Amino acid sequence: MAPPRGRGGSSGGFRGRGDRGRGRGGGGGRGGDRGTPFKARGGGRGGARGGGRGGGRGGGRGGMKGGSKVLVEPHRHDGIFIAKGKEDALVTRNLVPGEAVYNEKRVSVQNEDSTKTEYRIWNPFRSKLAAAVLGGVDNIWIKPGAKVLYLGAASGTTVSHVSDIVGPTGVVYAVEFSHRSGRDLVNMAKKRTNVIPIIEDARHPAKYRMLVGMVDVIFSDVAQPDQARILGLNASYFLKAGGHFVISIKANCIDSTVPAEAVFQSEVNKLKADQFKPFEQVTLEPFERDHACVVGGYRMPKKKKDAE
Amino acid sequence: MSSLRNSLPRRAHKERSQPSSRERFGLLEKHKDYVQRAKAFHKKQDTLQKLKEKAANRNEDEFYFKMVKTKTVDGVHRQVSEDNKYTQDEIMLMKTQDTDYILLKLQSERKKVEKLAATLHGIDNQPSNSHVFFAEDREEAKKLKLQHSKREIPPTSGDIPDNIKRKTERSYKELEARKNRASQLEKIYMDMGMQKELQKSGRKRKLREDEIVCPTNKPVYKWRAERKR
Repeated sequence: MAPPRGRGGSSGGFRGRGDRGRGRGGGGGRGGDRGTPFKARGGGRGGARGGGRGGGRGGGRGGMKGGSKVLVEPHRHDGIFIAKGKEDALVTRNLVPGEAVYNEKRVSVQNEDSTKTEYRIWNPFRSKLAAAVLGGVDNIWIKPGAKVLYLGAASGTTVSHVSDIVGPTGVVYAVEFSHRSGRDLVNMAKKRTNVIPIIEDARHPAKYRMLVGMVDVIFSDVAQPDQARILGLNASYFLKAGGHFVISIKANCIDSTVPAEAVFQSEVNKLKADQFKPFEQVTLEPFERDHACVVGGYRMPKKKKDAE
Repeated sequence: MSSLRNSLPRRAHKERSQPSSRERFGLLEKHKDYVQRAKAFHKKQDTLQKLKEKAANRNEDEFYFKMVKTKTVDGVHRQVSEDNKYTQDEIMLMKTQDTDYILLKLQSERKKVEKLAATLHGIDNQPSNSHVFFAEDREEAKKLKLQHSKREIPPTSGDIPDNIKRKTERSYKELEARKNRASQLEKIYMDMGMQKELQKSGRKRKLREDEIVCPTNKPVYKWRAERKR
């Protein structure tokens, strides 16, 4: 398998050089048209290239755009991006450039003004929120500047991406009961100032009521039989009226004897009884089996009745 | 590259040929070349002569086991079959080593698939999951339906440069190939495991078609329960 791949690599390099030539001709205009997408040279850890070819590269300077390897453009959801290139992935802008949280791949991109932006690839196999986004959920409500309460933070893989999305103006309160994974969470939060780790049982929000302010969104991924109750309890303490919730439901954790669809239905009904108004539900099919993500609002104002 | 060239048979001596412009004069005979050629020829002749003498002076009573164990088939020298070269235990060990190697390769392939899948999310594909919208009444449901039918735009803009498109395609192709390879290796691994189990002692029989619970096109065996003390 190795020899053909090697050949592919070298031919790719040759093609890259050809592109640069084109870039010098009309690349500038092309880039200007597009505006938003940023182009990158070198993936992740600054492309490993041969020294000899590096010398040749010097000659082609000026056509900065031509040799781009990754294209990053914004996703439908605010704060989420799509990287196209060798990878075809959801990414978030890295709040702490140069650091990976769980050994995920990073992509750095050169902006128009020759500053660099780093993005981290968001693995939907490890994050249910990413799986929901790829599943085509209409709105995740987690956006730049939002205050998010994250229940069931675990080691903080998804939390780190949520903290990327909300950015420096937002806050993520990450609640996790287990000390072992809480340790990783705390280490992650040391580098990210907008993450507040809380090692407490989410069943007792009174214990951390002094740490958490009112939030815009609650994300819950606790995988407990009484997760609807836990969500309701936390929402009554911290979620503003008209705020939103995102809950991931694992059918096996609630009742493994009935079909998944019935479990999702019963959970949605439980949420409805708790002043939640579900908007939509997506299953996380290619990434997780028998999981669903429900998105909705809390104590929503009744607009329709007023209109009539 | 040079090592490959060295392993191929080569001419011992290259004779100088007549230049093409002087081809009409016939072969270019050089004394130096002639000497080399003649020496090589005589050497071969001598060897043949010696072998012939050896065969003529052979001792009729002489015996070697190779004389029984080997024979020539259509002029090709062959050894008698090596069916019982290895004992049962040795064969089992070799088979275990084979399955272990297959398992190793299978696991490394799975790891690679996992790594690739982590960066290839199929963003432009239509999601294959189910998406439910909740509405309070009929009107809202209608509105949602309208909204949803409108929103069928692809999530990424179309104007992606060709070189990037090609790169993405190549990665998807690699992922597909690796997935195939992993599934093939898994099949091989299962087959080998089955062969190994079948060679072990223990009473077993092949199930008939109507006895198989989960239908497969592969043979299914059942072992007699054995009391262990």
